[in-house]
Amino acid sequence: MSSVIPNPDPIGLPAPAWLLQILLVLTFVLHLLAMNLLVGGVVMMGIAHRKGKSSPFYAKLAERLSMALPPSMAMTITLGIAPLLFLQVLFGQAFYTTSILMAWPWLAIIPLLIVSYYGLYIVQYRPEWLGNFRTAISWLSALIILFIGLLFTSNSVLIMDPSKWGPMYAQSDTGLRLEVASNGLWARYLHSIVAGFAISGLGLGWLARRYERDDAEWSREATVYGGKWFVNATLVNLVVGMWFLFSIPREIRMNFLGESMVDTGILWLGVLIALGAMHFAMKARVVPATLMAVATVALMAVSRHRLRAMFLDPDLDPTALKVSPQWDVFAVFVVLLLAGLVVVGWMLHKLAKGSENAASAPEG
Amino acid sequence: MNFPFWDVPLIGGGMLIGIIAIVHVFVAYLAVGGGLYLVLTERKALRTGDTALLESVKRHSRFFVLVTLVFGAVTGVGIWWTIGLVSPSATSSLIHIFVWGWAIEWVFFLLEIVAAFCYYYGWNRLDSKTHQQIGWIYFVGAYMSLVVINGILAFMLTTGSWEPGDSFWKAYFNPSMFPSLLIRTGVCIAMAGVFALITGSSEGEPELRARVTKWAARWILAGMSIVPLAGLWYIASLPPLAREISMGGAPAVTLFAGMSIGLSLLILAAAFFGPFLFPKSFHVTGAFFIATLALSVTGVTEWVREAVRKPWVIYDEMYSNSVRKDEVARNRSGYIDQTKWALLSTEDRADPQKLGERMFRFQCQSCHTINGFNGIKPMVKGWRKDFLDYQLQHLDELKGFMPPFMGNDEERAALVEFLYNLNRPKEETLVFRHP
Repeated sequence: MSSVIPNPDPIGLPAPAWLLQILLVLTFVLHLLAMNLLVGGVVMMGIAHRKGKSSPFYAKLAERLSMALPPSMAMTITLGIAPLLFLQVLFGQAFYTTSILMAWPWLAIIPLLIVSYYGLYIVQYRPEWLGNFRTAISWLSALIILFIGLLFTSNSVLIMDPSKWGPMYAQSDTGLRLEVASNGLWARYLHSIVAGFAISGLGLGWLARRYERDDAEWSREATVYGGKWFVNATLVNLVVGMWFLFSIPREIRMNFLGESMVDTGILWLGVLIALGAMHFAMKARVVPATLMAVATVALMAVSRHRLRAMFLDPDLDPTALKVSPQWDVFAVFVVLLLAGLVVVGWMLHKLAKGSENAASAPEG
Repeated sequence: MNFPFWDVPLIGGGMLIGIIAIVHVFVAYLAVGGGLYLVLTERKALRTGDTALLESVKRHSRFFVLVTLVFGAVTGVGIWWTIGLVSPSATSSLIHIFVWGWAIEWVFFLLEIVAAFCYYYGWNRLDSKTHQQIGWIYFVGAYMSLVVINGILAFMLTTGSWEPGDSFWKAYFNPSMFPSLLIRTGVCIAMAGVFALITGSSEGEPELRARVTKWAARWILAGMSIVPLAGLWYIASLPPLAREISMGGAPAVTLFAGMSIGLSLLILAAAFFGPFLFPKSFHVTGAFFIATLALSVTGVTEWVREAVRKPWVIYDEMYSNSVRKDEVARNRSGYIDQTKWALLSTEDRADPQKLGERMFRFQCQSCHTINGFNGIKPMVKGWRKDFLDYQLQHLDELKGFMPPFMGNDEERAALVEFLYNLNRPKEETLVFRHP
């Protein structure tokens, strides 16, 4: 039913498709990293709150995570804006359509975000209000965040399958439907959530560094604990990843299994580097493990992008769209982005230096 | 219509955008003006060695962060979500014309978020000079994000001489861009005062409470003093039809425009005779009263701005029902053929009732529900078929704020049939059941 695919926007792309695709994947990787820290971190905090009732290590872990999570949430949202912008430029024909098909669940993301975000803040600032409900509220935020992830995966999967669109709209034009029975949806969803568990393990390694001076023992223990999260989650994800791979229809899957050298290379290089990251994570060497894990996330994001292109070919091909470049405005964007990043770096540097000088426990 | 139409029962999609947009804009004004308030109040406290005031700013900054970073930021994303669902074609247009503008907006937004966290977490960690510098960075980031979005919003109402294919800059620096920025700047300053009144008047220590309250009232008065002149400039920049609609052409819009002015004056009076003249006896209830007025004035004003744009969603470019100006002629020879998501079988197309229902959904439902907000059923009650047909043939002439009917004779007849039947069958059943 490719006939329902909306016509491309007559205004055309404001830059060549390759540039927009690079920006899409690049900013999406940044979003993924922040999202991973949030998703894994919030589950880790839920567990730590529970275990913290009998163990000081977990009690401190819960408290320290509670301070790191609201900024992770802010970064996840902020860094998610840019890829969504470029997605709308390149794949708007698909994105607006599928969002409308699942309009209410899609719109529910907004109030759900607000509730879970305030949940995180209450856990951080007013644990005394919550008393015994603190664990429950952290889990509530965690479950909401995990559900939001499912909504995003559902839309991403629906985008790739235009044959479903027409029949879905024929069943409901009020946007009440949520597609969760698609082939491969759950494998794909689990793959990204488990990646969150892994990356947040390394994130904990970085958080632990902040307490190296004042609470060395906890810091060491937390680094090892985080390493375990990374290793175990990555092991699980190797299996989930295989499930995901084999849920893809054969003619597309084979591109990643030798038919296309580029796609096969990108995917399996990512897997290989993940194995290297596991090696360093086991030794609690956070820096090399993180660098390799970030490389894996980036390669996986490229594979994901290529996978979508394969599914949508030839119905929707961004490289075939009309281009009316706006290079002057693009130049302004690049200059401002670079300047902005310098300023952001300066502020974070000042704050980090300030924390070293002040007592390391941040005030609430 | 190029996309599927999302049927939002009772309130309609436009109202849904309105609700989310108004609460967002209300908080977003605080996010911008409040940044200036924080850094200037901090400076004032440091210069006068007023530690009590400094502590009060710190408390205000937590409230500020919790309101703006969470509610303000997420509802902003919410508007983007909603416009994509309700007006995908217009959203797509704005994204394509302004993509680098949005990208620049995102840079400022990123700067704003990081600066807000550093400012808030930096109270006890940074020296006061660096802390103030970060406060300024926050304000610049927040204000610039307003500057960028304001140009895009203004473009929707005053496209000016812009035509598809023209440059980004021509679209961005459109006729109402500067006057609208000036109004919004004034409102930001006033809104900073409104929110500072809330935290200020909840301070426990009476002397400090009076000082903060009076200081906050000054912000309201200063901000509001910019608005009248900027408002006149703004009205002068509007297209003639839009001006006409706001000044008597459509009674409801005129009423709301009047309310916008009246409520603004009320805020001014409340701030002057309340916290400004009598800061000692000013109570937090009064602060919430003024905040409620401010929310109402934001609501009616944004509503008027949306209403005067009719019949366009992007002025002189795309009608409210997502039809581009240059598509009108083609649609006249057959609308449903151009509407991929009508999804009508050949059999259903021959049925006037079914064809008419689809015509209504894709051409009218962007503004009209059937029974709810702006509901069509009560509007056409008692209309004969020939009268309905006459109305449709001269829609844009009879009602200046409506687009012309677009479709061939068969489609118009089908829409007449559908509209006529809205009121007919039920009454017949009613009579039949209760003779």
